[in-house]
Amino acid sequence: MQFDDQGRVNKSKKRAVFNQPEAKNRVELFRHLPQYEHGSQLTDLESKFLELDSMHPAVYKVGVQYLAGDVTGGNARCIAMLRAFQEVINDYSTPPGKTLVRDLTAKISSYVSFLIECRPLSMSMGNAIRFQKSRIAKLPLTLSETEAKAALCNDIDRFINEKIILADKVIVRHAATKVRDGDVLLTYGSSCVVEMILLYAHELGKQFRVVVVDSRPKHEGQALLRRLLAKGLSCTYTHINAVSYIMHEVTRVFLGASSVLSNGTTYSRVGTACVAMVAHAFRVPVLICCEAYKFHERVQLDSICSNELGDSNDIARVPGRPDVNSMDNRTNEKNLQFLNLMYDATPSEYVSMIITDYGMIPPTSVPVIVREYRREYLLI
Amino acid sequence: MPDTQALVNDFLNKLKKLKIEGSQATARQNAELLRSVISQQRVPYTNQAGALIDAVKAVGEQLIAANPVELAVGNIVRRVLHIIREEDLSLTTAAIGGLNLSAVSDDENDDDRDGDSTLSAAAVAAAARSTLRPPSLQTLLEDTPVSAAVPQTSSSGGDSEGKSKSADKSSRSRKLKHDVIEAVNEQIADIVICHEQIAEQAVEHIHQNEVILTLGSSRTVLEFLFAAKEKKRSFRVFVAEGAPRYQGHLLAKELVARGLQTTLITDSAVFAMISRVNMVIVGAHAVMANGGVIAPVGMNLVALAAQKHAVPFVVLAGSHKLCPLYPHNPEVLLNELRSPSELLDFGEFSDCMDFGSGSGSPLLHVVNPAFDYVPPKLVSLFITDAGGHNPSYMYRLIADYYSADDLVVQRRATAGN
Repeated sequence: MQFDDQGRVNKSKKRAVFNQPEAKNRVELFRHLPQYEHGSQLTDLESKFLELDSMHPAVYKVGVQYLAGDVTGGNARCIAMLRAFQEVINDYSTPPGKTLVRDLTAKISSYVSFLIECRPLSMSMGNAIRFQKSRIAKLPLTLSETEAKAALCNDIDRFINEKIILADKVIVRHAATKVRDGDVLLTYGSSCVVEMILLYAHELGKQFRVVVVDSRPKHEGQALLRRLLAKGLSCTYTHINAVSYIMHEVTRVFLGASSVLSNGTTYSRVGTACVAMVAHAFRVPVLICCEAYKFHERVQLDSICSNELGDSNDIARVPGRPDVNSMDNRTNEKNLQFLNLMYDATPSEYVSMIITDYGMIPPTSVPVIVREYRREYLLI
Repeated sequence: MPDTQALVNDFLNKLKKLKIEGSQATARQNAELLRSVISQQRVPYTNQAGALIDAVKAVGEQLIAANPVELAVGNIVRRVLHIIREEDLSLTTAAIGGLNLSAVSDDENDDDRDGDSTLSAAAVAAAARSTLRPPSLQTLLEDTPVSAAVPQTSSSGGDSEGKSKSADKSSRSRKLKHDVIEAVNEQIADIVICHEQIAEQAVEHIHQNEVILTLGSSRTVLEFLFAAKEKKRSFRVFVAEGAPRYQGHLLAKELVARGLQTTLITDSAVFAMISRVNMVIVGAHAVMANGGVIAPVGMNLVALAAQKHAVPFVVLAGSHKLCPLYPHNPEVLLNELRSPSELLDFGEFSDCMDFGSGSGSPLLHVVNPAFDYVPPKLVSLFITDAGGHNPSYMYRLIADYYSADDLVVQRRATAGN
């Protein structure tokens, strides 16, 4: 939705489930994206729990988890959403005078708009929803309600199993062949697939070191670091500014992605583009590990046309640094804005290879997979 | 003498404990300290320049060893040495000129190199063609006649020099120290006003509706942007916070206080935002002889992103930051690694960083460098208090400020070469 269009914004506010005050100091360049004040959203939503009789509790729970930041990462969010939809379908009963297909689709759409209010959809979630709606639309009319519900739940199970869990296993097998003894592997932030690759290669007995690069404001790398250290991998930890310092000893870079677009651009956590650029400058191969269901036919040239804006207070406040935090009272100054981008777009020339469940492909082959193999899962 | 020693020890302490913030303050205090060392130094009647140089080298060695990463210290020491040599040279030429000798286009070289007042013709001729002296047209055209003329002058000059020296040695001794101290004072004044001189050039580079990106905080950049604002140029600034010191926050606060539109971004968002930026303006910690820049960590990232998007990368540096050394392996030799506690909370990760547990070697290393090296090919322009320059030109500026003899600041054994 275009947030710079005031008419549409007002319409969506009327339909909104809970109240979200817009941020006061918006960055001019990002007027087309939503930006809200994050302080009161969670309490507001929680207070509405008993009022939302139209909302299924499973979907409500997932929405709160998104808003609070408990569930993060493309795969985790997608799985959580699909499981919630499974419960919705199980508890569903067709009201009299309506068809299952239309009514269920309308219900799912309303739940999706609730989830969007909590947190904008990731591309993986968008693809999963499209799959879901197409399966509902393709239900043969001869099925009874229980059979239809069972078929839909089965489809969701298959989707999660084939497109996410098995796909991850295939990716890990492929990628482990790219890890040799004596390697120094660099990763940025926390990607579940890359973590699986590192742990699997370690189990295979390969000798390698890991460099974990992290950045503000979320410090996602620290969680990954802890899990790797618990398994006995030897790690180096640094922040993104020091990437040029550490890159001369790195042999491979493994990165995760939120999505890969049709022009080969990788859309992933902000900072990935910086890491890929420095790796390219030092001639280190960059490998993106991404399941094929995250591919999208959109194209994007830069990180500004489409992005997600996070909480600006996360930038203003530096935990543990009181000398810097004296700027807090400044958040309402009209000349000062804080920009908390969540994603960025890495150009395809920085990426050496994308490892997917269809194999290891160059970034230029992504539109081929989108076109040729997309039809396949629509027909399962 | 004990007076200066106390001052020197005090300054050494400050350097070792990193109590002085910024290279401008370091350079100024260093120059003032060397000025007191020179004024307190008692000089013998002959070869005073040599004595002064020895004294300054003695102090300089200790200062440089105290904090090798703070290159401004070494720069100022070498500048003062150059000043001493220059002043001595100009005094000597004035003295010889006063003896009505034939016009010699080659100046006599400083006699402090071998500590001996009598000069051999070969030494004079060789020194005259020293590479740091720009060759004058006369030298280039009249190569042989000059070397033939020199032995005459030196032989006759030797006696007359002895006479002249005995004649006005007392006035000369006072004059050398006096001139040197005056020149050092000029240096100090230059250091103090370098920000204004750089800021004067702001109007040439910032026009209307610009978007400027900077990283961390630099006083030079601050004054530069203020000067442009004074001249009613409208522009917006993106400030990258510069983890882990987060100085970008302080810079943003100052800019906002002056009424500039500022947006604070994380360092990871630099690549995302740079496509909408017109110019990158940053400060430097030191500028090396090849035009490379030692800057706060994260600058190489910004420089690479700027090159990719063809955005000009402008470095502002006062001339006291120009170092005559060539950066060999700057990431290691010209860097310092700071405490891991700035990145990780010790409480959470102390078990992993413990040397005592497990096999004795820790699983976790934390890397926190303080500086970054930006190669000269990524820099579009240097703006110094002497004007704007290409990175490929910086080596010429060295000739203005430093002598070739002083690249290694070490006291030599007394015998001449």
